[in-house]
Amino acid sequence: MARMKFLCDIERCIACNGCVVACKEGHQLPVGVNRRRVVIINEGKPGERSISIACMHCSDAPCIAVCPVGAIYQREDGIVLVNKDICIGCGYCFMACPFGAPQFPRGNAFGARGAMDKCTFCAGGPAPTFSEKERRLYGQNRIAEGKVPLCAGMCSTKALLAGDSAVIADIFRERVARRGSGIAWGWSKAYKE
Amino acid sequence: MKKALALGLTTVLWPVLAAGADILRPYGPVSPVEVFRKLNGLLLDAWPDEGRAFMEFITSFNVYYLYLALGLLGVFLLHYFVFGPRKIVHRGEKVPYYGFFTRFVHWGAAVSMTLLVLSGLAVLFAKALGGGSLVMGLRSVHVGAAFIFVIFAVFLFLALVKDMFPAPYDLKWFLVLGGYLSRRTRPVPAGKFNAGQKLWFWVGTAGGLVMFYTGYKLYQFTAPVSYLREVLKIHLYLGLAVLGLFLIHLYMSVIAVKGALQSMLTGYKDIEEVAVMHPKFYEKLRLKG
Repeated sequence: MARMKFLCDIERCIACNGCVVACKEGHQLPVGVNRRRVVIINEGKPGERSISIACMHCSDAPCIAVCPVGAIYQREDGIVLVNKDICIGCGYCFMACPFGAPQFPRGNAFGARGAMDKCTFCAGGPAPTFSEKERRLYGQNRIAEGKVPLCAGMCSTKALLAGDSAVIADIFRERVARRGSGIAWGWSKAYKE
Repeated sequence: MKKALALGLTTVLWPVLAAGADILRPYGPVSPVEVFRKLNGLLLDAWPDEGRAFMEFITSFNVYYLYLALGLLGVFLLHYFVFGPRKIVHRGEKVPYYGFFTRFVHWGAAVSMTLLVLSGLAVLFAKALGGGSLVMGLRSVHVGAAFIFVIFAVFLFLALVKDMFPAPYDLKWFLVLGGYLSRRTRPVPAGKFNAGQKLWFWVGTAGGLVMFYTGYKLYQFTAPVSYLREVLKIHLYLGLAVLGLFLIHLYMSVIAVKGALQSMLTGYKDIEEVAVMHPKFYEKLRLKG
């Protein structure tokens, strides 16, 4: 079975935040919920680098380990999903996650947190595939449609790769070999055959 | 002329010099190791240091609540059957003990605290309730009850604080453990509130402040994640203390000391009970006439 993974090539990422916007718009996420974000170092200085980060769909995911109601689970292809019908919004997963992936919408009574929301790898959720409920709670199910996740599809420099880990590792390895020094500065190194 | 040239050169070169070496440095390869060390620091925050410990803590802590509840139940049963509840022969004369305001804020705080304890336990033992919207609703109750409780707690504090300052005879009360570990009824050294009640009061006030602060931080959920982990730990440890205080208060007032519940409802205590349980206050009453 294929193992789904994200890989962000930091030599290509230009911090355009296209992935963030694509994800937010495509899944109609409320303000305050960011399934994906871009982290930048040395901003505006030489040596600036950025990485696009979301749920890493860990094997042996800490969020699954700490969830007190067992609402988070991992599919056979490695995608980690949350069942919003079981989630109680306690926030333990956020505190256990190394990457800050779990997000919580506001808006319950007394301003309490709602059910956890995070990157689904565009694979929907436990609700019936393509159902209205799935779209409302978890967003699009592009994996079931045979498409790559929105963020990776949108990425203008193809820095963000998503899919079968073996395939994207091959693509990345080939890129690095072609690049040589490990830096893609200019067209000739980054994109030319 | 020379001066003007020097000035011109300085004006042109000054920004370059001021920017230092950075602006002149060519874009060369940066060590990926260095880049990832920096990125990881931003992404993972304190996780490499405390992530595992947090996971272990959070997955193993609930059981202490179970131990505490069962342990206290055992202690209560033991106390009830070995020493029995405190009964004092009444002849019917009553003295006013709690004013209307005190009783009102007490019951306001009591109801909201009961909601807090029950909804808090529901969040901890969410699995047993099946999780989902039921527990999520109870979490909202937890938040709402907390804000209501805080309002009542402030007034309760103000209503009681003047009788809660420590007095020399409080030490003696502790030495005889309030006389609770005895079947005989003897007067114990205590004012309007005994040393145990005073301790409860101050522990409750200090703990309540910390509990409210930590709870508010968890409610906001905007602090750095490392801080949230610490705050959750404190909230859970203190929650243990709150459950203990809650159960002991319940047992003492409803079962162990006959008449305590009645006095908080009506505001009057039997004069014999005051004479035995709160003799210093009794003396004050007698002096007043």
